[in-house]
Amino acid sequence: MRLGKCMRAAIAAVAMGVAALATAGQAEAVTLNDIISRGKVRIGVLTGAPPMGMVDEKGNPTGYDVDVANLLGSYLSLPVELVPLTPPARIPALQTGKVDFLVATLAPTGERAKTVMFTQPYSAFNMDIISGPGATFTKLADLQGKRVAVNRGSSQETALRKAAVPGLQIVVFEDDSTSAQAVIAGQADAVALPSTVGEAIIKQRPDAQLHVGFTFFQQGNSMATKLDDFELRQWLNTSIYLMKISGDLDRIATKWTGRPMPVLPTF
Amino acid sequence: MSYTFQFGALLPYKADILAGIWLTLKLSFISILLGGLAGAVLASLRSTSGRAVRLVIDAYVEIIRNTPFLVQLFIVYFGLPGLGFRVGADTAALIGMTINLTAYSTEIIRAGIEAIHKSQIEAGEALGFTRFQILRHVIIVPAVGKVYPALCSQFVLMMLASSICSAISTPELAAAAAFVESQTYRSFEVYILVTLIYLTLALVLRGALALLGLWLFGRRAVRRPLAAMPEVSA
Repeated sequence: MRLGKCMRAAIAAVAMGVAALATAGQAEAVTLNDIISRGKVRIGVLTGAPPMGMVDEKGNPTGYDVDVANLLGSYLSLPVELVPLTPPARIPALQTGKVDFLVATLAPTGERAKTVMFTQPYSAFNMDIISGPGATFTKLADLQGKRVAVNRGSSQETALRKAAVPGLQIVVFEDDSTSAQAVIAGQADAVALPSTVGEAIIKQRPDAQLHVGFTFFQQGNSMATKLDDFELRQWLNTSIYLMKISGDLDRIATKWTGRPMPVLPTF
Repeated sequence: MSYTFQFGALLPYKADILAGIWLTLKLSFISILLGGLAGAVLASLRSTSGRAVRLVIDAYVEIIRNTPFLVQLFIVYFGLPGLGFRVGADTAALIGMTINLTAYSTEIIRAGIEAIHKSQIEAGEALGFTRFQILRHVIIVPAVGKVYPALCSQFVLMMLASSICSAISTPELAAAAAFVESQTYRSFEVYILVTLIYLTLALVLRGALALLGLWLFGRRAVRRPLAAMPEVSA
């Protein structure tokens, strides 16, 4: 009965895992009062995607998201606990209650809106198709039969899949820099990157002769709360309005992206 | 708010998951075959050749065993094009897995070879076996038989580690899971499903390897009660 014992142990292990996940999934709604009485606000910020979110020389989180998160902390008069998150970890961290809300360069999409609630956009950038010295692409139709690298789960992946260019092969990597590396190593013909990230990589690796082909869409990024945190979302929307009116948001946008926050439709 | 599981959301992606399972199986099967054979060859070369060959094999084994698999994959996928060899993500994964598994199986089979008692080889010589016959019947086959359980564990580990190949865009099972997750945002559902699939694959692989061992080395090699130990010291 060795196999039987093995199976039982395995099934027990999986069951425990499922139970742990189920409990972790049951994060309660967070109200503004909960945060204030806790004495600190936990904000998920993006990491590994300069200039929106990255770490500085001392290993501390920094970037557009961090400045906005700290500004929100100052509106609340509370210390901010920054939780750096990789792109695929953002929504799970919110759902499991690891963070109160996200200021993590998350683009609103129809699919995401079924699992989290979005605020007005607080940042925006262009999505560019960037290629190596061998090729220049000027429109989506040029990508027919080409291999284009994207960051897994990113909105550029969604947008490219939606564009449904015939014969376009989408090659998926874990982050923006590995996707760009695929072009530098010749494993992909082009990479789809936010203009801010793309410009940073082009500057960092002049030897690779990367260049922007065209912009295929403009992306606005929102903060996100859990689906039923209406109160928190309303407060965040009000704060974004205040940041825009005071000029603080434009100052942060100019500091990190070189231009003020573009005007985007609100919802 | 309590989390509501919705496994139905994964149904439209059945084909992606199945394709992932298929590639995982293919990569594992070929790398186990190549890595196992290459390991046996390198281990016997190491035990029969001079210092130089032994040094080279030892260096290879130690470099691979003491560096992360992910880094090895990156070097194959992103580094080889710099040298003029461009391989696709599937081939790069297969090369990486085989290189990695060969190092481990060489080390495991080496231990088996060192456990063969000198008297066995002398007995072979006394019976008039040729060098090759001794190598085959007295050294390699019994050596692999001795370390077969450890070898099987390594094979299963390799199958599970193939999930790392998703980092170089190989569309195997873990990559399929990440794709479905990125399309549905149903992380818990996807990873619970994929955990169960990997568990099943691992148990099936273990079972198949145990049967193979039974066929190759007989019952005693698979399960080795104390009473069945050959009394070599007598």
